[in-house]
Amino acid sequence: MSGKKNLDRSKAKRVVQEQLARERRRRVTLWTSLGVVAVLVIAGLIGWSVAAGQENEKTAGLTTPSVAVDEGTAFAVGTGPVKVDIYEDFMCPVCGRFEASVQTTIDQLVADNKVTVQYHPIAILDHASSTEYSTRSAGASAAAAQGGKFAEYHRVLFANQPQEGGPGLDDAKLIELGRSVGLTDSAFAGAVDDGTYHAWATKVTGTAASRGVNSTPTVRVAGTDLEQRTPQGLIAAVEAAGA
Amino acid sequence: METRQSARMTADWRWISTGVRLGLATVWLVAGALKIQDLAGSGRAVNAYEIFPYEVAKVIGAAQPFLEIALGLLLLAGLAVRLSAGISAVLLLIFIAGIAWAWARGLQIDCGCFSAGGTLGAGQTPKYALDIARDIGFLVLAGFLLWRPQTRYSIDGALMGEK
Repeated sequence: MSGKKNLDRSKAKRVVQEQLARERRRRVTLWTSLGVVAVLVIAGLIGWSVAAGQENEKTAGLTTPSVAVDEGTAFAVGTGPVKVDIYEDFMCPVCGRFEASVQTTIDQLVADNKVTVQYHPIAILDHASSTEYSTRSAGASAAAAQGGKFAEYHRVLFANQPQEGGPGLDDAKLIELGRSVGLTDSAFAGAVDDGTYHAWATKVTGTAASRGVNSTPTVRVAGTDLEQRTPQGLIAAVEAAGA
Repeated sequence: METRQSARMTADWRWISTGVRLGLATVWLVAGALKIQDLAGSGRAVNAYEIFPYEVAKVIGAAQPFLEIALGLLLLAGLAVRLSAGISAVLLLIFIAGIAWAWARGLQIDCGCFSAGGTLGAGQTPKYALDIARDIGFLVLAGFLLWRPQTRYSIDGALMGEK
């Protein structure tokens, strides 16, 4: 008799315990779920604000070079009717090879007054050097443009392109390369030293991205992406656009 | 009541789930950490998919690495594992859809899964099949945790009063 009673009591106890455990599981699941959602929302908001802060910081003190064209984002070489936009990063090896292969062709097209080349020095490979060489070199090229030597300077930068993953060229070397193409004034050296155009390089990069330029080199002839980035491809596209 | 054998099975599953949980946590932590150093680059990687306008892509690219790291930490701690795994699965499905979209449109991009991404240079070919296969692998991990969310050394377990 008393054994059965005990059994009933322990059964009842177990039922109550199970109910309590279920209740606890439900409560824990609810609160941990809310916690997870809160953590993720906060993480996303932090990311957003950090990125906005970085952008503000990087574009503070923006100085746009007065000689820049195309909403102040490019430097023009030549005065021909067909517009060729070239988006390059001075750190990008493919850009270096592209420049080397089309150099004489571009010179010829400019000399024949067929094209206006707009160079957009963008900085998407800052992570490929330990000193944000992409931004520094793009800024230096803007200083060179102010000194009237963009075409020469951008060429000498590619000719002296540093290895990816290294420290890049230091500011002293950037100034020395400028001197080698006739940028001997203190304005150029000062602008490189002070990083006058670094914020501008960031802005140009953003403008390029908003135009769908996500890699370098991007070459657009009369607004159309050039698929064949060879001398022949370039000439063919210019002919087609000029006709 | 559980028989002794099924209790033993549950314990075994818990150990496997624990490994899966930590594995998936590592995936998220690594993916996030590799992107967090260059948030602008992360935005450009999203932009390279040509799905969103740049302004939107920038916000997604900035938030994403932080979300990935947060998910990684949540899984590492074992907090609301089933929900975390579910969100992981949804994110992975979105990534897979994005890669498939880039593939279908013939875009030449790096998926930006574990890097700053962006368009590929000449002579580089995208590895979409590989990227998708890898993400499906991660999806399997997330699916496993959805199915068996109970793990050892988790906050969930501690809160539930488990040993």
